[in-house]
Parts: sequence; C-alpha cells; structure tokens
Amino acid sequence: MSVVEAPTLSPSAEKIRARLSASPLSEKVGVGDLDLPTLEVSPSDWPALARFLRDDPECHYDLFLDLAGVDNLKRAGRKTRFEAVVHLHSLPHNNHVRVKVLLPGDTAPALPSVHEIWPAAGWFEREAFDLFGFHFSGHPNLRRILCHDAFVGHPLRKDYAPGQRWFATEQDLKMPAWAGETGERAEHFETQTLSIGPSHPATHGIIHLVARLDGERITRAETQIGYLHRCFEKMAETHTWNGVIPYADRLNYVSAMINGVGYVKTVEKMLGIEIPERGVLIRTILSEFSRIMDHCVNIGTNLVDIGALTNFWYLYQPRENIYGLIEACCGARLTVSYVRVGGLAIDVPEDFVPRCRELLESIPKFIDDVDRLVTNNRIVRNRFQGIGVVTKEQAIAWGLTGPMLRASGVPYDVRRSYPYDFYDKFDWDVPVANDGDNFSRYLVRMEEMRQSLKIIRQALDIFPEKGPVNCDDWHVVLPPKDAVYHDMESLIYHFKLIMEGIRVPQGERYEWVEGANGELGFYAISEGGGGPYRLKVRPPCFPNLAAFEKIIVGGTISDAVATLGTLNVIAGELDR
Amino acid sequence: MSGVVNVWEKVPRKLTLAQWLYLPEIVRGLRVTIRHFLRNLVRIRDLPTILYPEQKRDYSDRFRGKHILKTREDGTLKCVACYMCQQACPAECITIVAGEHPKIAYEKYPLVFDIDMLRCVFCGFCVDACPKDAIWMTGDYEMAFSSRQEAIFGIDKLIEKPGLPVKDGYGYRPYYPGDGTVPPADASVSPVIPGDGERARLREAGLLPAFRPSAPQLPAKN
Repeated sequence: MSVVEAPTLSPSAEKIRARLSASPLSEKVGVGDLDLPTLEVSPSDWPALARFLRDDPECHYDLFLDLAGVDNLKRAGRKTRFEAVVHLHSLPHNNHVRVKVLLPGDTAPALPSVHEIWPAAGWFEREAFDLFGFHFSGHPNLRRILCHDAFVGHPLRKDYAPGQRWFATEQDLKMPAWAGETGERAEHFETQTLSIGPSHPATHGIIHLVARLDGERITRAETQIGYLHRCFEKMAETHTWNGVIPYADRLNYVSAMINGVGYVKTVEKMLGIEIPERGVLIRTILSEFSRIMDHCVNIGTNLVDIGALTNFWYLYQPRENIYGLIEACCGARLTVSYVRVGGLAIDVPEDFVPRCRELLESIPKFIDDVDRLVTNNRIVRNRFQGIGVVTKEQAIAWGLTGPMLRASGVPYDVRRSYPYDFYDKFDWDVPVANDGDNFSRYLVRMEEMRQSLKIIRQALDIFPEKGPVNCDDWHVVLPPKDAVYHDMESLIYHFKLIMEGIRVPQGERYEWVEGANGELGFYAISEGGGGPYRLKVRPPCFPNLAAFEKIIVGGTISDAVATLGTLNVIAGELDR
Repeated sequence: MSGVVNVWEKVPRKLTLAQWLYLPEIVRGLRVTIRHFLRNLVRIRDLPTILYPEQKRDYSDRFRGKHILKTREDGTLKCVACYMCQQACPAECITIVAGEHPKIAYEKYPLVFDIDMLRCVFCGFCVDACPKDAIWMTGDYEMAFSSRQEAIFGIDKLIEKPGLPVKDGYGYRPYYPGDGTVPPADASVSPVIPGDGERARLREAGLLPAFRPSAPQLPAKN
C-alpha cells in the first residue's frame, strides 16, 4: 500500500475508516493519512465509494474540488502507472479528503465517470482525458477541452516529449454535435445557433460560447475553452521550484500575488519551514490589495458590459494606485514575481506602511461612489436582480467556490474555514447572500472589498517595523548577496540553490488559499529533485465557467453577457 | 475571527418610488459624476492618467526593465560566464558562450551574452542569481523592435558604457541587508576567498543570519 498505513490515523481519517468498515466497501478501500486523509480505490469500486462519500451523513463530501491525473512512469514503488487523484471538501464537517483511483494498464487507463454524483466532475474529467488520456466511461461529452482538436497525444504523460507542435486550422476545430442539428422547434423560423467569441469584448479573455436560440431565449449552450492554453503544468515539471513562480503569476494575472502566495505555501509546507511574521504580513497585505484589485476589475468590466461605463474609471483608479504600491515593492506592476519559497524576493521599501495607509484612506471613496451610482440604480437592478440565479444546491453540486458560492448562501471562505497565515487573528466577516443571482454576486464582491480593507488595517497595526522577511535556512533561501560575494560557504549555498534548485523532500501535498474568485489549490508531488514531479492547479474559475452553460439556459443573450461578467473568469487561469 | 454578514442587510430589496421614477436618481447620479468632473478640472495635475510619451510615470528604483551588464573600472565586463543566470532564467532567454580571458589567466568571460527580449519575462531571477554583481536591471521599458532578430540583445546593447548615463536609471539590483537600494562596492576588487574568519565577522556585523539548527534533513538526491 503506497498510502502510509500509519497505526494511528488522524481523527478525520479514523472517522472515515470507521464509517467505511460498516459498509460493503470496507475491504476494497485503503485508508491512509498523508497531509490529508487519503483513500485508495480501484476504478470498479470508485462510483460506489463516491456515492458513499457524498451521501454518508458522517462524511458528506459534497463539494468536488479537483481531479488531477498523475503519471507514475518515473516514480518508483507505485502500484499502477496512472492515478486519478480527487480532492473533495465537506461543507458541513469542514474537512478535505483525497481519493486516489489506481488505474491499471499502461496505455489506455479507464475509469467510470462520476459526473452524475458530482456534476462538477464533468469538466475535470474532460481535462484528465485531454491531458492524460484517461477514458471515463459514461461521460456524456468526453472531448478534448484544453488542447485543440488537431492535437496528437496526451501532453502530461511522462513519455510525451515537450516541444512538439501541432497546428490546427479552422477545419480542425469542432463545434458541439448539436450545433448542426435543425433544432428542437424546426417549424419555428427564429431557431438558430449563434457563436459568440472566441474573440469578443464580452467574453473577457478568449472564450467561445455556442448557443442555440429560440427567438432571443437560449435553449442550449456550450462553452469551448483552451484558446490560451500553454500547459503550465508541463512547464512546471521542467523548472525548479522557484522557477515556477513567474509562471504561477500568469494564472490569474489580475491578482497575481495570491497565486504566488498559494504556490509557495504548498512548497513551504512540504519543506516544513516557517516564515517570519513580517514576511507573512507583507504577503497578506499585498494579497488583500490584490483581491480588491480583482474585484475592482470584475465589477468594473461587468458594469461596462451592461452599459455603465463611468464606474469602470472610478474602479480603475484605486487599481492604478495599488499597482504603484506593488511596483515600489517588487519592481513590476502586473506579473509581480515577488514571493519566493521561504519568503520574499526583497524587503518592502521604507515608506510601505504610510503608502498602505494612504491607500486605505482613498480606496473607500471610490467604492462608495460606485455604490451610490449602481446599487439602487433601476437599470442595474433590472439587469442583475433575479438574473443568472444559482441555488444553494446547484452551487454546491457544480463545485463553485468563492464569491459565487457565498452569493448562493454558503459561507465557505478558505480564510475562515482553514485559517492560514494570520487570518484567524483578524476581525472580519464573511459576506454572504441568499439569492444567488447576479446582483448578490455584485453585493458580495463590494462587501468583500470592504472586508479586505479591514483586514489590511489590522495587519498594518501589528506590522513589525523591522525584522527579517525570509526564513534563515540557506537550503531554501539565497544567502545575502554580501555574503555571496565575500564568503566561499555562502557562494556554495547560492550555487547549489541556483543550479539544482531547492531539494524538497519526497512526498505530495495539496494546499489551498482563497483566491479572488474561489478556492485556489495547488497539488504538488516531489520526488526529491530540484523541481516538481507534478504540479496541478485547481483553478477556481474552471468550475465557475463549467456552470455557465447551465446557468444561462432559459435567459436571453444579453442576460448571458451580464452573467458571464459576474463569474469572474480569468482566461489565464481557466486555460492554464 | 468574526461572523458572517448578509449583504442584503444594508441594501433594500425593493426600490422606492423615487428610485423607480429615474429622475431623482439621475440627479443623484449626476451629483457624483459632476463632483468628479469638477475635481478633475480644478486639480488637473492629480489626474491618474498621463500624457505618454511626453510625460512618463514615475517608477520606483526597483523597476524591472531592460538589463544592463555592469563593468569594472577599466571597462571590461564583470561577468565571468558562470551560466548561473542562464540556469535560473525561467523563460530560457539568456544564451552565454564562455571564452578564456585574454589578460587574466584563470578567469572566464562571455564571448556571447544574448538576452532575447521577446522571451524575457522581466522577473529579475538573473539579477538574484548573479554571484559577481554583473547584471542589473534598469528603468528602461521602451523597447520596440521591427524584427525578431532585432529583439536579441547582445553584449553591445547590454553593456554599461562607463561615463555615460544609464537610460532611465538603475532598476532592480542585488538585494543588500538594509534598505535594499545601496549600490554595492565593486565586487571585483574585494577578496574572493576570505575564509572562515571573514564569515564570523560578517555574522557579528549582522550581515549573516545565524544558521538555523532545525533545518530539515533532506533525503539524498537519487
């Protein structure tokens, strides 16, 4: 059993084992404990286990988070070449679990689809089919999702040579099978299939929406993505642990800082190192500013889509000022590359705290102005209220997280449910709404900006004036330059770190933070080398957009545009 | 820690009659926009937008722009072609070809040092990686090319010309304990191998952190 069968399991793993022993699955599922409770199951028992995990009242893993394929070709001591690793969250019991489905066979791994148990699994299964060639039996739409249709092979398999190029022409790109059909109501003269995007101002990035219309009502829709796919996960495998950071910044480029923080948190947990308080607080402050920026961009562009241009200018001004602060810290505005494993690239400038306080003074004015113009505006209410409704049950089934989930009435925020850094020491509220419509999502984001300001204010109050920002372990962080120039030993540490990378102990870890649009997770596997063996991102907007084609059915095209804006889809993160 | 707040508590679900009738709301909205308009008119210098390229935004002295290869006093490159920046570069945009130094018998120097500016992501990892203080970045971000070949900057475009000003000033440079912006002393004239005594002295001066005894034991590389 590759899962560590520790004699004493953690309480949550022990609970699952106790519940499992009473069910017919007890002999078929291995229960172990890594960083999370980890179950191992064969493909044939996977749907039964999935149903058990979702329906058992003591387990109740209702939120499907992530499905990551793993190719063990170059790992010793594994039972099978391929594994499908699923991460789940239980909203009532507030814990995560990992399930490994061990797939026999070296070339054509197959397992049953669980999209009926968790609808959120649909797109994640398509992704694993695309990148690993896993065949999910029973999946209704098992097509490539990130790579284009002329692509040959499965890029994340270890025997796939990176650097091959496949060119797609217009003829290679397939439309959904139903797009060519004459329609549900052929006698109706207005039935037609409409293609919106890929390059369209309302799609915020490059997303292709194919919609079947009856008059102006959408009767069926499908989203095609992958136009910005660059296979971040394959590139991570050929870089050192630190070398991934600039790539991670380009996932959600609107709030680049949060990606970096989430990624290095994973690596730091694997290394078992602690960051000094000052370093952690700088990360927190800049992350919260990034969240404000992200919401500014989201609300601003969303309002532009429905014709309220002025708010866009009011919201972009605080964003511009925050970029100024971030640039003063690290030297770049958008793609910051500021965090490093073990701390930060460089300490903040001396005027950091006064500049932050200045921003805290100025940002609320802009938020209030937008509030005054928009919140009780009749046009906005008509366009937002009651449009794009996602019920609580739907939101959970579709795997939504972040403001989308909270607007549907589920108060799940990673900063509150799994407090990391110092979030448990700050006094702040999780904004929720019960309606799940576009207007609730707008209100939740507005309130989140105010709560972020509250967090920053408290973080500045306990911000130590002087002190280190990096941990002092030279196996991880670069020694100070002065020492490198003058001291042989430091130069050796420096040389080893740059040429070989940080040596992260063998193991695997899933760490998650609250990104601006939901739970941003990183699942990393290390084989003891200088770089990741496998790195999987759980992009929060991936399930959000997967739900889009279900939300908009029954509404009009103009409602679909307004709804798409509230999902906060960032193509860099969606397509990776 | 604190609780959960329902955002609808502060916002009325139904609009009032006045809000439904548009007109009073238009006046209220115009108050906000006209206030912004007048403020921008009076304090035109505080506008967030600028008239580029006549005006330029003030960036900090950490800005990560075009690279610059530092030189010694005699005008030769500090770079010793150790390939560390090439290895650290996540975008793989640096190409170095090393040669033997014509004057100093034991030293290497770069025959070729190319940076492909179209590949470069300006992350500053090369500056962090350099053990000889040989590569810095500048505040120069205005690089336009008419061909891909032109975007590959060689030593001639990257070298710091002694006596000539650096376009837009220095940007991101090696981090020093302190304020992080102090220009370093010339590394090429400093003793290279000071021995353990020097290390103890640096530690006493607070330049080296005390080594953490609880450093994790890493497995041997297989």
